[in-house]
Amino acid sequence: MHNDQRSTTLTIFCKVVDNFGDIGICWRLARQLHHEHGIAVTLWVDDLASFRRIWPAVAVDAATQVVDGVRVIHWRDQDGAFVPDDVADIVIEFFGVDIPPGYIAAMAQREPRPVWINYEGLSAEAWVEGCHRLPSMHPRLKLTKHFFFPGFTDKTGGLLRERGLLDARDRFQADPAARAGFLGRLGVTQDAPAALKVSLFCYPHAPLAELFGAWRDGDRAVVCLVPQGVAREHVGDFLGADPVPGAAATRGNLTLRVIPFLSQDDYDRLLWSCDLNFVRGEDSWVRAQWAGRPFIWHIYPQDENLHHVKLRAFLQKYAANLDGLIDFSLRWNGAEGGGVDAPLWTSLQAELPAITERNVEWQTLMLANGDLVSNLLGFARSLR
Amino acid sequence: MKPAKEIRVGNIIMVDDKPFIVLRSDVNGSSRTGFTYKWKMKNLLTNAPLENVFRGDDKFDVVVLDKKPVTYSYFADPLYVFMDEEYNQYEIEEENMGEAVNYLKDGMACEAVFYDGKAISVELPITIARQVVYTEPAVKGNTSGNVLKEAKIENAIEGKQFTIQVPLFVNQDDTIEIDTRTAEYKRVVRN
Repeated sequence: MHNDQRSTTLTIFCKVVDNFGDIGICWRLARQLHHEHGIAVTLWVDDLASFRRIWPAVAVDAATQVVDGVRVIHWRDQDGAFVPDDVADIVIEFFGVDIPPGYIAAMAQREPRPVWINYEGLSAEAWVEGCHRLPSMHPRLKLTKHFFFPGFTDKTGGLLRERGLLDARDRFQADPAARAGFLGRLGVTQDAPAALKVSLFCYPHAPLAELFGAWRDGDRAVVCLVPQGVAREHVGDFLGADPVPGAAATRGNLTLRVIPFLSQDDYDRLLWSCDLNFVRGEDSWVRAQWAGRPFIWHIYPQDENLHHVKLRAFLQKYAANLDGLIDFSLRWNGAEGGGVDAPLWTSLQAELPAITERNVEWQTLMLANGDLVSNLLGFARSLR
Repeated sequence: MKPAKEIRVGNIIMVDDKPFIVLRSDVNGSSRTGFTYKWKMKNLLTNAPLENVFRGDDKFDVVVLDKKPVTYSYFADPLYVFMDEEYNQYEIEEENMGEAVNYLKDGMACEAVFYDGKAISVELPITIARQVVYTEPAVKGNTSGNVLKEAKIENAIEGKQFTIQVPLFVNQDDTIEIDTRTAEYKRVVRN
């Protein structure tokens, strides 16, 4: 159902740095803007190959294409001459990417000026509230950009969430046949129905050998599903074989199974199907929160360990009394020493029911902040 | 052109062909593009205040303004009065003083900054020495500087007494050096 935003045009500029997170967020943003708000969206993206991994309909060699109703332009360089008519009503630079200078010049000539938004990264740090929606005047042109921060409070932009997401999740989770069918399509058999089902998405530097050891020697069977290409070296070492889809091995209580890399929609279903999800970066982190299942976040590393500050800020908000989760998260991310050993895993495993309860409270809190796209459009309207 | 990360409080920058003085700068982590700089600024032509946020690599023209050595003379609420060698007096509005009010002392040497013939702000020496007028008793044995406590420093303006963080070994009545750019303690000055 479209609303009165039908005639609005919006352009997103996205550069892929973190493999799938950047395009993952931008693609969700673009789809929701188009499908739920009727906005004509153009997405400039520099890495169509990464885009295709999360949305197989994307053609990697097309300069311009329409994908699921969104116009996609391959962003090759900073060149190009633009006229004011090329400029959308709303322009989003994602994570502070540098928009082509010619496009900015055209923005300054357009009447009325576009709403220009710098969409920033998600953080639970307190300073974010003080910078959310603040202007950023262009030093030389009559243009003002505004910073927009996703976040976990009503003083931020909230979290990305499609209108029907939670209903779709609930329907899927209430339907064992649907879950079995989905996992079966990934090549996952019912090899250990009582086993703890875990999805694994992390950066290559995660302490995986230690974790695999704890699972292998643990007292409960674990089936770990890892998408192709993730933690290739560690997974290959465990398997003793190429980590291609369908490859699997069982050692002790751990069965490790490689599944195909998933589209965004199927990745949601994977998160909904597992008892515990290891996620990374920002996009899968947010999806794990909406999945309602326990999750461990592997945060994108930053210089001077600034990511540890972000991690602690989130844990403080989300995991207040969940000591097992806090300890595991800090050590998983190298924010504290001690490694990911068997006692740490035992503590986390014992806490999984409490984490599941916390997720219910957390989602209620997050829902109260509204959804990010509606908040963003409301803010854009207030600027026009 | 200077990137935002190199702009200091008291600098005058041009935005949309208008001069702005940066009155306060809060540096925040940890955007992927680097730090985020939240500035309280004032339009020097209209006196209109505003708050803006910038990325560290956003570039600005910094205006190099005329400066003249002056000494702090007195406070005529809401104006701070400074005097040059020829006994000319210059009045600077309180809202343009920024963090400088925290360090004012009678007869203090500094530089008045002029725009279009009018004194619009004052720049302090980077390092100044000030006496501690109150702090909790010193704790022996702490020389690493890792643990800090609050210390009020002397100030000419009633009600403007400023507090900075100092190591535990600092005593009341000690004279300490302070970096006025960051309000950070540097060392105790031993007589």
